[in-house]
Amino acid sequence: MSRSSAFALLLVAPALALVAVFFLHPLVLSVMSAFMANGQGPTLANFSRAFELYSGDIIFTIFVVTSATILTLVVAIAIAGALTLSASASFIAALRFLYRWPLFVPFIVAAQCMRTFLARNGLMNNAFVALGLFDPTTTSGYLDWRGMVITFAWKQVPFVTLLIAGAMASLDRATIEAGRDLGASRLRVLVELVIPQVMPTLLVSATLSFVLMLSVLSVPMMVAGTQPTLITVDMAFRINAYGDYGTANALGVISYLLASGAAIFYLRHTLKDDRR
Amino acid sequence: MKSLLVPTLSVAVMAVFAQPAAADTILNVVTAGDVNMVDYVKDYLGPMFEKTHPGVRVVSVGTGPGDAGSQTIYEKLSAQKAAGSTAWDFDVLVIHQKMAGQMVREGFLVKYRDTVATGKLFSRDSAKNSLGTNVEGFVLPMFHSQTAIAYNPDMVKDVPNTYSELAAWVKKHPKQFGWNGIKGGMSGVAFAVGWVSAFAGKQDQLVAGPYDKAIETAWDGPLASLKDFNTNVVITPGNAGTLDQLNRGEIAMGPVWVDMFYSWMADGKLPPNLKLKLIDPGMPGQPMYYAVPVGSAQKQLAEEFVALATSPDVQAKGIVERFNWYPGIDADNLKGKVADAAWAKLFGDIPPATLAKNGQSFPITPYFNDILEAYEKKVAN
Repeated sequence: MSRSSAFALLLVAPALALVAVFFLHPLVLSVMSAFMANGQGPTLANFSRAFELYSGDIIFTIFVVTSATILTLVVAIAIAGALTLSASASFIAALRFLYRWPLFVPFIVAAQCMRTFLARNGLMNNAFVALGLFDPTTTSGYLDWRGMVITFAWKQVPFVTLLIAGAMASLDRATIEAGRDLGASRLRVLVELVIPQVMPTLLVSATLSFVLMLSVLSVPMMVAGTQPTLITVDMAFRINAYGDYGTANALGVISYLLASGAAIFYLRHTLKDDRR
Repeated sequence: MKSLLVPTLSVAVMAVFAQPAAADTILNVVTAGDVNMVDYVKDYLGPMFEKTHPGVRVVSVGTGPGDAGSQTIYEKLSAQKAAGSTAWDFDVLVIHQKMAGQMVREGFLVKYRDTVATGKLFSRDSAKNSLGTNVEGFVLPMFHSQTAIAYNPDMVKDVPNTYSELAAWVKKHPKQFGWNGIKGGMSGVAFAVGWVSAFAGKQDQLVAGPYDKAIETAWDGPLASLKDFNTNVVITPGNAGTLDQLNRGEIAMGPVWVDMFYSWMADGKLPPNLKLKLIDPGMPGQPMYYAVPVGSAQKQLAEEFVALATSPDVQAKGIVERFNWYPGIDADNLKGKVADAAWAKLFGDIPPATLAKNGQSFPITPYFNDILEAYEKKVAN
């Protein structure tokens, strides 16, 4: 080993040690605990209990987080597209100023705001009623899966927009202008020319959002009732109500598997980029 | 210069050292509770105790709400016990039921009820039995909190008296009843437990044991009817979620903690016309306990502290008037000491006789856990 690479290793050693002690070690412990019951193992008892009690919640989690990811992408593409393709400088300036705000709001604060905003007699419905759009007797609350999807999307849109708008800004404007010159509408330029070129960024930001939303506890606790709920709530409940770390960790492993499905996706794309 | 400096310095040094020498036997009170309970000791009980005990300083520490807070206290004491420490860090404990039972079983607590004057003021079962463990003598209830059904009289004309009437009411008025399930806080847990014990019976065995898994087959019917009940209700986000939705008129009825209900009303977060009903055959509640650990170096003082905290005056002004909790001591000791308005508020909707009849305990720990898990299996999934 050359001296410079030994020196480099020494430099990254503290970071590696941190990862090993505070990430890999607990990760290994939690995976091991998922396969142990009453100090005995290996066993699948925790997993069979997890599926018996929480199969509905696992499917619900996939549904909510996937829906939220899709909604996030659609809104983020719309904003980033408007920033890239709009001709009005003042519109762009206003949009650019506004869309970033939720980046600085923590999930728990967003969840607390949505609790009163999305309720049946909450701010949103009351505003619609006051505008004469709704009749007060026909309003319905959104404090269920819809509330979670909206809260997640509200929080994640700026992050995804930031990434996508950056990628769009670095595109060669000539392709966009060529499309416009040939008479394509802005929407068509966005869908057929711009999005295909930023696809790698789009997928990566979707992956990161998916994994992040999978791990949030505050939003499902605060925005929606707990039947059904996300598996983060079930994990917390296993520990708080029964002191049952085994099943909680089994749910954790299921969560890792969901996240690693997304992570494989992410790695494939970043590796492809690196090879280029 | 030099001659002046030395006496000045020595006076200063003496002043510094004299301070702790003259004062301050320290009484450490640890509370497994939220900030409000820690402040109750720090701002209210502590100064009152210091006034009658010159030279004593009360230090109030909190370990956080819920059973997790009691668990923290247990871990600390058990480490000191294992290390053979002669003066444990805590002198007075404020703990939950589950942990009180465990600490008594493991010999952590002093049997002190008969040595304090207020020990005679407790007749409720909660002073003797904590989720199936005999704790008589080792603990005194600080307060009782109770769950009940809150309702909006403008929207509910035919107020249900029993769980069966409630089920019928919910069928007739879909989506007007809201509760938080079992993962969103204890008011929902209390409702589920109350439902099972109302329809499956054996209430006495649930709260006092012995534990026999065979009786759990009787839960299938009640849980199936609870699942059916749930199709017509709103599942709210948490204890506070139920109160929020009552406040906004989105639901007309729901299970709540009585103390939260009155505190929210006092803060203007609930309309003042809302009412409470403790339906038959009852809903659970729970006490917090005062206890003295065997390793305390200040047992005498600790017992005097608990005696003050459970005296009728403090129970009236602190527990009832300040926090809207039900007293730890028997309520008839407070007559004349609580302001009429506070008394009327706390016992207006739920008179003492109803509270005594329908204020249940939570089941013993193994049944408690089994009810929750049966609910998860048969109702939630």
